[in-house]
Amino acid sequence: MIDMLRNLALLFIGAALVNNILLTRFIGLCPFFGVSSAMETSVGMAGAVVFVMTLASSATWVFWNVLLEPLGVGDFLYIPAFILVIAALVQFVEMYLRKAMPGLYRAMGIYLPLITTNCAVLAAATEAVKPGFFKMNIAYGFGFGEAVVYTLGVAVGFGFALISFAALRERLDVAPVPKIMRGAPMAFVTAGLLSLGYVGLSGMFGI
Amino acid sequence: MTDWIATFKRGLSIENPLTILMIGLCATLAVSTKFEGAFFMGLAVIFVLTMSSMIISALRRVIPEQVRIPIFIVVIASFVTIVDLTMHAFLPPVYNFLGVWIPLIVVNCVILGRAEAFAYHNSVSLAVADGLGMGTGYSFVIIVLATFREFVGSGEIVFMNQRIVALPPSYQGPGIVLLFPGAFIIFGFMIAGARWVTERQGRRVVETSKHCTIEEGRAL
Repeated sequence: MIDMLRNLALLFIGAALVNNILLTRFIGLCPFFGVSSAMETSVGMAGAVVFVMTLASSATWVFWNVLLEPLGVGDFLYIPAFILVIAALVQFVEMYLRKAMPGLYRAMGIYLPLITTNCAVLAAATEAVKPGFFKMNIAYGFGFGEAVVYTLGVAVGFGFALISFAALRERLDVAPVPKIMRGAPMAFVTAGLLSLGYVGLSGMFGI
Repeated sequence: MTDWIATFKRGLSIENPLTILMIGLCATLAVSTKFEGAFFMGLAVIFVLTMSSMIISALRRVIPEQVRIPIFIVVIASFVTIVDLTMHAFLPPVYNFLGVWIPLIVVNCVILGRAEAFAYHNSVSLAVADGLGMGTGYSFVIIVLATFREFVGSGEIVFMNQRIVALPPSYQGPGIVLLFPGAFIIFGFMIAGARWVTERQGRRVVETSKHCTIEEGRAL
């Protein structure tokens, strides 16, 4: 029992910090640079990503283990199958939230459609059923619980990096940056320095 | 024909997907540690972009507007699967190096963005020109970035197990160039350089604040 909890905790920390999907794996950079110019939008996006990513990975894990793997078509159908499952799921979640929880819908509604094309969701879903693509040391065949904890870790890491980067960019707006570097180039250099901090974490906790 | 050439050239210069439009960044930064990986990634993107643009443009009168995004995704995913299986069979080392980035071409903003913005509204030959131009522009930037990073970082350029260029073995490259932070920083300077060139030529600078997923999100 203790062993299992320890494994799950390591999986979570490994996914969230040591193998941070944005800053050490470069997955999901479009929203990272797209919405991070304001704090408010980053918080909304981070919440929506945590929600959708966990849900999408659970759905694709079940889809893979119930349908694709037993039929033996997983290896060549997983790309179109997963992206369709994710797109359909996002549409349903959006419709459900609009009807049932209007408050929550207003808070994260506009970010939901954007997430369909967020590569981080597809990457986390793929990694949960076919571990090893990210070359993590603790990759093994995930059970359902592990898949959910892993995806939750990835999503929390994504949100954390996004929000901290948004805070940096707000400060950067008032900094004296040379004219040619203003805007996007400086944002990239800042992201590089932030990423340097995450690289420093590798090897910690034995992961 | 002049239209065709103008469309083709746009992807190379004023609408370069990476340095000007800044879409499809994820794969670029990740696979640009090796020249070989970047080269085949570029080829894969050119293939998927051109073929999916062609099919989508040929079917543009048949595809209903409301369900176009799922249809685009299915078309793109089919071509990505072709690339995925072909590379797995014929180029196993490259396939292992590219890893998750091959399936992730499906959600690469460049491809869906071009399908939505160009191929869906234009004739087949123009769509092919746009696909080829955008793909070549993408490949050009990614190959330049990878050549710089591999050469400076490890002192040699290896292509299909052949050493093309090598510095003396006593050369010790700065390791950060090959690490993740190095990619961000070097790419930042590359965008600044591209912007400087564009401004010098007096061409219009496309504002970079708009990004593809927002456009696609509205469309959904």
